[in-house]
Amino acid sequence: MPQMVMDDEDGELAMLRDSVAAFAENRPGPKTVRALRGDHRDMDTAQWTEMAEAGWLGLMLPEELGGAGLGIRHQAIISEALGRALIPSPMTTASVLSSLLLAAAPDSAERSRLAEGLIAGSAIVVPAIEANGHLVRLNGRREGNVIRLDGHIEFVEAAHSATDFIVLAEVDGKTLLLSLPSDCTGLSRADKEGVEGTPLSILVLEGCRVAPEKCLIDGADAKTVAKAIDLARVAASAELSGIASRAFEMAREYTVNRVQFGKPIASFQVIQHRLVDLWSEAEMAAAAVVNAIEFLEGEDEKASRLAVLAAKARASDAASLIARRAIHLYGAMGFTDESDIGLYLKRAINLGGMLGQAEQLRRQFVIEERAA
Amino acid sequence: MMQTDWNSLPDEEFREIFRDWVDDNCPSELRYMRKQRPTYEEVKDWYQALSEKGWLSPVWPVEHGGMGLNPAKHMIYVEEWARLGCPRIPDHGIGLVGPLLIQYGTAEQKAEFLPKILSGEHMWCQGYSEPNAGSDLASLRTSAVLEDGHFVVNGQKIWTTLAHCANWIFVLVRTDKEAKPQRGISVLLVDMSLPGVTVRPIANLRGEKDFCEVFFDSVKVPAHRLVGEVNQGWTLAKSVLGHERIFLGAPTRPEYALGRLEKLATSRGAFDDPAFLSRYAKLRLDLYDLGSSFERFAKILRSGGELGADVSMLKIFNTELYQRITEEMLMLAGEESRYNDDLETENGDVDAMNLFLDSRAPAIFGGSNEIQRNILAKAVLGLPG
Ligand SMILES: Cc1cc2nc3c(=O)[nH]c(=O)nc-3n(C[C@H](O)[C@H](O)[C@H](O)COP(=O)(O)OP(=O)(O)OC[C@H]3O[C@@H](n4cnc5c(N)ncnc54)[C@H](O)[C@@H]3O)c2cc1C
Repeated sequence: MPQMVMDDEDGELAMLRDSVAAFAENRPGPKTVRALRGDHRDMDTAQWTEMAEAGWLGLMLPEELGGAGLGIRHQAIISEALGRALIPSPMTTASVLSSLLLAAAPDSAERSRLAEGLIAGSAIVVPAIEANGHLVRLNGRREGNVIRLDGHIEFVEAAHSATDFIVLAEVDGKTLLLSLPSDCTGLSRADKEGVEGTPLSILVLEGCRVAPEKCLIDGADAKTVAKAIDLARVAASAELSGIASRAFEMAREYTVNRVQFGKPIASFQVIQHRLVDLWSEAEMAAAAVVNAIEFLEGEDEKASRLAVLAAKARASDAASLIARRAIHLYGAMGFTDESDIGLYLKRAINLGGMLGQAEQLRRQFVIEERAA
Repeated sequence: MMQTDWNSLPDEEFREIFRDWVDDNCPSELRYMRKQRPTYEEVKDWYQALSEKGWLSPVWPVEHGGMGLNPAKHMIYVEEWARLGCPRIPDHGIGLVGPLLIQYGTAEQKAEFLPKILSGEHMWCQGYSEPNAGSDLASLRTSAVLEDGHFVVNGQKIWTTLAHCANWIFVLVRTDKEAKPQRGISVLLVDMSLPGVTVRPIANLRGEKDFCEVFFDSVKVPAHRLVGEVNQGWTLAKSVLGHERIFLGAPTRPEYALGRLEKLATSRGAFDDPAFLSRYAKLRLDLYDLGSSFERFAKILRSGGELGADVSMLKIFNTELYQRITEEMLMLAGEESRYNDDLETENGDVDAMNLFLDSRAPAIFGGSNEIQRNILAKAVLGLPG
């Protein structure tokens, strides 16, 4: 069973892993995925509340904001386990990325309100910032005290359930990190159907007026935001790594049990070689994510940046390759909607396309590595 | 007078006549359908137009209402059909049942069934695979026992394409449990309205319900619905495909997908990116070269020869190229690969996810690519084991 291997002297990580597995017993991921897409819902808010109760939301928020103050290591363990169990949630965006952005902001009442709500699950705080490689999509203008926002942001998940969005806007040559209530006048939404059958939204802002106290960072520097995104990428990579591992195991289990020509098909050498290759891809993905975590915990910024890019690219490609190959190994059964393996492929594509796609990230890696 | 001797026409003349008529008569709203397997109801107008013209069935002999095309002309027919984006019609009757009956059926069977295939009254589906008999088809267990002039059929078929829209099914059944697996199989024609036949559609990866489970619970099939001799079904089933095996290698799907990739790439400015250009070039030339290999086999048919086992190489290359093209499409789509919805371009929508998911299937059906490789290894390369 490929998984991330990290030092865990006091068994904390193993406990987290077990708690997600236990959660998944009661709320099987595939069942939730099917239910959500059946009624075109963007997320399961009841499940989100349970995740809050389990203490998984805002895990990386510092203690002074009421968070657990844990690091990416713990987050990655949870994300990996969610991936394995295919539990659908906007964990990477509405918990990890939002937390990191809030943590980067100076103290304010708005920040406290959002952090508190995020941890409790009562506020669903969705960052609508990084899409398709573009960070800042909104233009802002000061009109007296308030800030007027215009523009649109694509690929926003959980946009129906969101209570607040976190957005970046260019205002008078400065980048502002703002919180935007989801019921803001001038804010509308267009939905596209995502690969998992749940909506991915385009937020359209036409003259949204935001009060000055909604400004979380007045003059956000690109590095701060990039750092938060990198950590969120690691969470996504861990989830992808969990998907990769589980999809490999499913392929293994299926081919061991499926009998044709009087033998398990996994006894055919060609299938054994395929499985070995898939296993090795899953192992590579897990190791790449651990590598990123370890660099991020160290001091070397460039090295950790590269490690993150490599991990997201590797985990995205591994998850989707393994799921594709697994479908083939399932035969016609893999081409059905009833079989869960297809859901793994779709999740792999969904997460693979988010926060930078593999090819983009690999190119970025080479550019940054070669830069003086 | 209706033209009947198509084979005497020069190829290019036939191509032109066929193409012009198809282009004028295939409804434009049916062209380039998103669905791979539309139902009869969805393509009825096109089916009926072909039927009236006498062009529904390219290969059947003229005396049975077909065009009687030789393999060379048949290839033109198939090529032009694909080039004009005509939808696939439910073709199990035309492609499989017809040839089976023409070769092995009784005079009564031909008289009863062939006209109804041409009229669209009978829609057929193919009941071969079972839950435990996929690649190893010969292990099938659906049984048929002869009692008082009827075969009593019990068992289950699965992955039966379009069974929910069919009224007849041709099934492989086990009629001798003692014999070697391949020797105890027969072919039966079964009216699906008989008591004891139940159909359950199965949704596929794209959420479309186009294949089904078909259950047989003591279905009483009149003995005269047996095709050929009892226990000879395996040989019958294997022999119907003949030259048509080449079409599993016809690059229709990759060609279509590459066209979509080009459209998306143009719209996204990707041809300016040398890395994309290079990957595209590889796919383009793979498709081009597949054409050359296809032509090599086509020549054999045109000169009246028969295909060997080596034709399987086309199916493998073709279906795997289709997958690689659609994978490139998702890569090019970038974050838009997260959409199920079609992608918008200035020149119309591109169904990237639809094609990507669809491309998973052809490597599995029609003899999976591993089975094809096994055939090549043994029958062509003569490898031991
Ligand atoms: C879209 C679609 C439509 C279909 N329509 C019909 C239809 O209309 N009628 C019908 O009867 N059937 C139909 N089929 C079924 C099709 O014929 C079977 O899927 C096919 O024969 C493979 O069988 P299986 O799915 O049981 O896979 P399995 O035989 O279980 O194979 C599973 C995996 O093992 C591999 N494998 C199996 N044996 C070997 C071996 N000896 N060596 C190496 N690898 C091996 C296969 O390649 C595959 O990857 C359809 C299938 C699909 C996907």
